[in-house]
Amino acid sequence: MSGGAIRREVEPIESPWPLGDPSAKQGLLERAELQATLDHLVTKRVTIISAPAGSGKTSLLRAWAVSSAHRVAFVSVERDQPDGQLFWRAVLDALGAAASGGRRQKAGGGSQLDADSVIDRVLAGMLETAGPVALIIDDLHELGSAETLGQLERLLVSLPRPVHAILSSRRDPRLRLHRLRLADEVGEVRARQLRFTESETRELLRVSGVALSEECAAALWQRTEGWAAGLRLAAISLAGHPDPDRFVEEFSGGDRAVGEYLLAEMLERQSSDVQGMLLRTSLVPRMNGELADLLADRSDSERILLELEEANAFVVSVDRERTWFRYHQLLADFLRLELRRTLPDEVPELHRRAAGWFADHGHVLDAVKHLLAAGDWPEAAKLLADHLFALTLDGQQGAIASLLRSFPAGASAGDPDLALAHAASELAQGRLDEAAAHLALAEAGLDSAPPERRRRAETSIASSRLALERRRGRFAEVIEQVERLGSPGAGEPADIALGTDFRGTALMDLGIAEMWSGRLGQAERHLSQGAELARRRERAYLELACRAHLGFASQHRSFSTARERCLEAVALAERHGWDDRPLVAPALATLADTSIWMGELDEGARWLQRAWKAVEQDLDPANGVLLHLAAGKLQAGYGKPQRSLEELQLAEESQALVGDEHVLAPQVSAWVASTHARLGQPEQARTFLAGLPAARADTGEMRGARSAVSLAEGDAAAALEELKTVLDGTSTVIHPFTLVEAHLIAGLAQLELGRHSEAQAAAEAALAAAEPDRLMLPFMVMDALALLETVSPHDTAHRALLIEIRELLGGAPSGTSHHEWVASPEPLSPSELRVLRYLPTNLTRPEIARELYVSVNTVNTHIRNIYSKLGARGRSSAVEHARRLKLLANRAG
Amino acid sequence: MIRLDGHLGPTALSAFPTMVAQQHGPDTILTGPLQDRSALWAMLAEIEALGLELTELRRICPKTESPTSGDGLSPDRS
Repeated sequence: MSGGAIRREVEPIESPWPLGDPSAKQGLLERAELQATLDHLVTKRVTIISAPAGSGKTSLLRAWAVSSAHRVAFVSVERDQPDGQLFWRAVLDALGAAASGGRRQKAGGGSQLDADSVIDRVLAGMLETAGPVALIIDDLHELGSAETLGQLERLLVSLPRPVHAILSSRRDPRLRLHRLRLADEVGEVRARQLRFTESETRELLRVSGVALSEECAAALWQRTEGWAAGLRLAAISLAGHPDPDRFVEEFSGGDRAVGEYLLAEMLERQSSDVQGMLLRTSLVPRMNGELADLLADRSDSERILLELEEANAFVVSVDRERTWFRYHQLLADFLRLELRRTLPDEVPELHRRAAGWFADHGHVLDAVKHLLAAGDWPEAAKLLADHLFALTLDGQQGAIASLLRSFPAGASAGDPDLALAHAASELAQGRLDEAAAHLALAEAGLDSAPPERRRRAETSIASSRLALERRRGRFAEVIEQVERLGSPGAGEPADIALGTDFRGTALMDLGIAEMWSGRLGQAERHLSQGAELARRRERAYLELACRAHLGFASQHRSFSTARERCLEAVALAERHGWDDRPLVAPALATLADTSIWMGELDEGARWLQRAWKAVEQDLDPANGVLLHLAAGKLQAGYGKPQRSLEELQLAEESQALVGDEHVLAPQVSAWVASTHARLGQPEQARTFLAGLPAARADTGEMRGARSAVSLAEGDAAAALEELKTVLDGTSTVIHPFTLVEAHLIAGLAQLELGRHSEAQAAAEAALAAAEPDRLMLPFMVMDALALLETVSPHDTAHRALLIEIRELLGGAPSGTSHHEWVASPEPLSPSELRVLRYLPTNLTRPEIARELYVSVNTVNTHIRNIYSKLGARGRSSAVEHARRLKLLANRAG
Repeated sequence: MIRLDGHLGPTALSAFPTMVAQQHGPDTILTGPLQDRSALWAMLAEIEALGLELTELRRICPKTESPTSGDGLSPDRS
């Protein structure tokens, strides 16, 4: 799922996707023939059961699951489920439960589920289970996301041998399984086969305790055409009916649609108070006894639900403890229609009650939904505004945005609460002007707010203002505002929890503003404090927002500290399924940037790709500078200066959108100028330099750039002159890599002037400056091979680094590669071995990915691991090493 | 125009408030304007959810108005 898309909040039950519990259902009819068909079909990899509502798909699967020799993992897809994360989590949980012999496990809870690894995870889960496993996915038609279906498709075609998948759906699922079909690995059960036979009909009537004449049973069968739901409904109505034969006669003689007729009959068979309960509880998707009692105004709902569950198939408990229930979908839809038709006046009140219950139990979003359904949108707005801060801190922006769409258009003009909610939502989507307009509306309404709500609203507004200024790049303004808020006169909000949350977000905004304006030390301190505070308050989203920036802010320590912190942030994001959201971008981009500096271009490219994906929906200009700059360096590293220049110019454009001077601005400008120089365009470089603000001109970065331009103009002496204050340490230098560049330019200038020993000293100094963070990129970009050849590996303090850089630049192999010591490599994992076997072929990485049904990212990761484990530098050397180690013995190249 | 198998009672009919229902032999025929395609799909989903059997689906062209007169039946050309 992409950046700002809608995410449903987790449903109001502790396990959002109740595992189907095959053993819980009693009184299932043994349909021996059909079960034998299924037994036969599951020798194939995939079985698809495709038939309309009420055909008896779920009942068949449950009955089969009880009697099958397979270990069964049962997943029911919830209605309108758009979220792939929840689906895969349920699959993993179900497989975990199957592996542990039915004990319920929460495998998915705290684990990473990114799109690339989920299939691997599921496959690994399957392999843990001994013996044949059946993965049953019921109600697949409810799975809305094309992406998730695509992942499922990949899973199905790579199922390990002992695993069989059974999919049930009301419609033929849109899965491309042609390869499996060609291999005769797909079985199908359709409506025709699911129909009850005449003898099964008699059997059903018998176990339901209905005595019916032969002719009547046949008539019933004909009238229902063996439709499972019709027969079950008829059986419920017939049980205890004073004159069952007459019932069948009337039913068979009539023209009414089968389902409706029988549902109406079934409902009529219930006592009027049970009818009332069924109708009034139909507007929540699931209920426990307490909620049902509240809606139906009674005190014994749980008992009734349990009785109904035991008596028929139309009430189902969704947890093993049998405390939560739902109605069979067909029944629920009819009940809702009947409720609106017969008790229309009660509907709004019922929604209000449900809303009250959800609000009391902490399910704010469900409560808001029901208030909206009741037409009480001002109440809904109030509730939303009261919890806005907490919901935002919990990463519920998508759910808020989708709820806001259900409010009447233009309503926020007269409702400050709603205006505030809109402001927060627009802000989260990066629509700053809209956010500002809504914020102004909310502020205008402050005076009319009652005092107890006023304080809360003020806090929310102040927090939104801070975020708005930060997003606009007015860093100095943010810092000033936070200082003002922190002064003793401002006072603490009365609500302590709100005060703490507010302090957390203020620390985040402050830290980010300090970071982008170059006060890295302060930024690091404030972001750490914010993250710690958020962690204690269990505000994972806020914690992530702080940690995602902390890496960049720690670069002044060392690359390794910065990278470690970025990786922590990414892991935290993955645990919550937030790794494709804009707030993770700074961590991903910093990983990209540092990888690129260290000459790990492919790795940098991969991080950068993830960063771009995260900001797909919303790129804030400050992040834009970082991402475009990293992209520019990457292209430079790949030897494509023209493409590099294009990216750098985009970085300049982003910088122009940031209100204050961005910490990376001198670096961006320096790169633009020196890239012009490298492209042999010194005049353009000069024009560009002349147009820059004076304040930027005196940095070490800009001096470096000017000297590169002088060198390109053929004036080595001028280049050296320009560098003087950088090399003697009197110029402000933002990052050590500027120093590496300066030494390299100086060295090249000395070479040009024919001063060999000075050039050699400069090269040695460049290596010394590059060593701590392994800054390889300057050497690659400046074509420093000739300069490095002045240094002999035998009399440098940086021998390993020198050799590595020379290899990277394609110089003669020195024969003392640091890789050579790898005598016995770390063993390759099974998936790495699978990828390794494709390396001797002509297949490209995307082609290998297709062959193995994994993503290109996964293949890239495996290849990177293979290279590092084998100590190889490229594909051919990996193949060579693998051959030597007999890892390729089983396959011809 | 939508033809469904069987006669629909008041409950099932309340699912299609914008349509006019007629009984036609053993079938029910629903006619009425559908604003656009998404309205049509919503209606088909409702039919599926209620377990009703769809036997025919036909578009009746407006008789007097031109196809672009905004009667709601011309396909969405956005």
